[in-house]
Amino acid sequence: MSANQPLWLRAVLRAERAVGTRVESAVRTDTYFDVVSRLTRLHGQVNRAAEDLSRRWLHLFNLPAGSDVRRMREQLSRIERRLNLLADEVTEVVP
Amino acid sequence: MNALPATLSPTDLVSRVNRDVERSILRARNGIRYLRGTHRPKLGATPKDVVWKRGKAELWRYKGGRVRYGPPVVIVHSLVSRSYILDLRPGNSMVEYLVDAGLDVFMLDWGVPDELDADNDLERYVDWYLPRALAAVRRQTGCDEVTLAGYCLGGVMAALFAAGHDDAPVRNLVLMATPVDFSEMGAMVAMLREGRLDPGDLIDDTGNVPADVLYSGFYMLAPTTEIAQNATLLENLWNDEFVEGFQAMAAWSRDHVPFPGAAFRQVVELLIRENLLMTGSVPLGDRVVRLADARANVLNAMAERDNVVPPPAVEPAMQLVGDPARRHELRLPGGHVTFGTGKSAFKHTMPQLTRWIVEHSDERPDPQERDRLAALGATGIADGL
Repeated sequence: MSANQPLWLRAVLRAERAVGTRVESAVRTDTYFDVVSRLTRLHGQVNRAAEDLSRRWLHLFNLPAGSDVRRMREQLSRIERRLNLLADEVTEVVP
Repeated sequence: MNALPATLSPTDLVSRVNRDVERSILRARNGIRYLRGTHRPKLGATPKDVVWKRGKAELWRYKGGRVRYGPPVVIVHSLVSRSYILDLRPGNSMVEYLVDAGLDVFMLDWGVPDELDADNDLERYVDWYLPRALAAVRRQTGCDEVTLAGYCLGGVMAALFAAGHDDAPVRNLVLMATPVDFSEMGAMVAMLREGRLDPGDLIDDTGNVPADVLYSGFYMLAPTTEIAQNATLLENLWNDEFVEGFQAMAAWSRDHVPFPGAAFRQVVELLIRENLLMTGSVPLGDRVVRLADARANVLNAMAERDNVVPPPAVEPAMQLVGDPARRHELRLPGGHVTFGTGKSAFKHTMPQLTRWIVEHSDERPDPQERDRLAALGATGIADGL
């Protein structure tokens, strides 16, 4: 198969493996794990801080914030889940 | 575009130029189609009926010719990817292969979870959905048993079901790329195992792990592979079939589904951090499931170049699941998707898996032959009278 490949493709594939092997090793190092976990947590903290700030401002003018809508959606989902469970139980009893 | 041999007759040269011009035109046409996103291949095209549905979960029964073997095969798909990988394209589909071999094939597809599914834990899948889906299979087919085939995390659920239910109607249990030793899994699992990431860091407002996070996790296993894949596509852009196959695979590899939060937390705590499958016992609901209690014939199938669930993560099932005398191992060339698609799948995976299932199934008589025998039997009785 590789004998039929043009030179440019063989070169690209070889270069990709040369770089890829190193990148694949790099993403398995402790340093990478640390960076990713810190970035993930930092992202969460920044989001929460921004959300907190905007909520305070919106509440100051008696306006609902995104987090209020989310809380309502969560409550609705909880109710819907409960209803679904009840519906399943009813279906089991009365097929 | 290929390197020219040292001597080339004028006729060969002309035909070669013609071929390259033709291919360039086809490349341009297919390239435009590819960029516009038109002419996308139809995925999961094997005809099927939805025979059971609860919540987002659906049980599909594939249509085919005469069913020559029983019990029916029920495929349990993973919670993180789309099930059409096992029915990717006509002519390149595990499901189609099994159906053509004369098996009655069902697929338990979990759908796309949303916030309503955030509370779905492993018990919900193993003790609630699976028994009900299998009862539906038994009602549909009239068979008392099934061949239960789980792919990836679906294999874990299938094994827990087969081992955790005394009355599990499972004659054969097929585990395809099913992780057992989570200490041998990739980088994302390692981060969760070592506590660098907590489930809460990955679960979003809907209560689930978003599909994007899962995609990133899989992408980071081989971040530069896409370059090689795109270069290969460019070279083969003239080939309609290659482009179609490439598009199908590319679509699937980006098409993950959210992981229900409750099940994700359990997977992280029980399977990744405590690595409990390796002890052979997993607490589920109000009991402890012992994997050795599975009474089925077990086939543990693994792909030798699988970088998602590498063989060392799969191999221990041979020491843990079911009766030692009824365990079988199948090592296949190829990667994680060899269970669904690709040349290697067609050459090795599909024939070998199908052969094992058929060998552990019963042949069903042709309905016409059965009627004829029944008629003969009746005549014989009448003659005897």
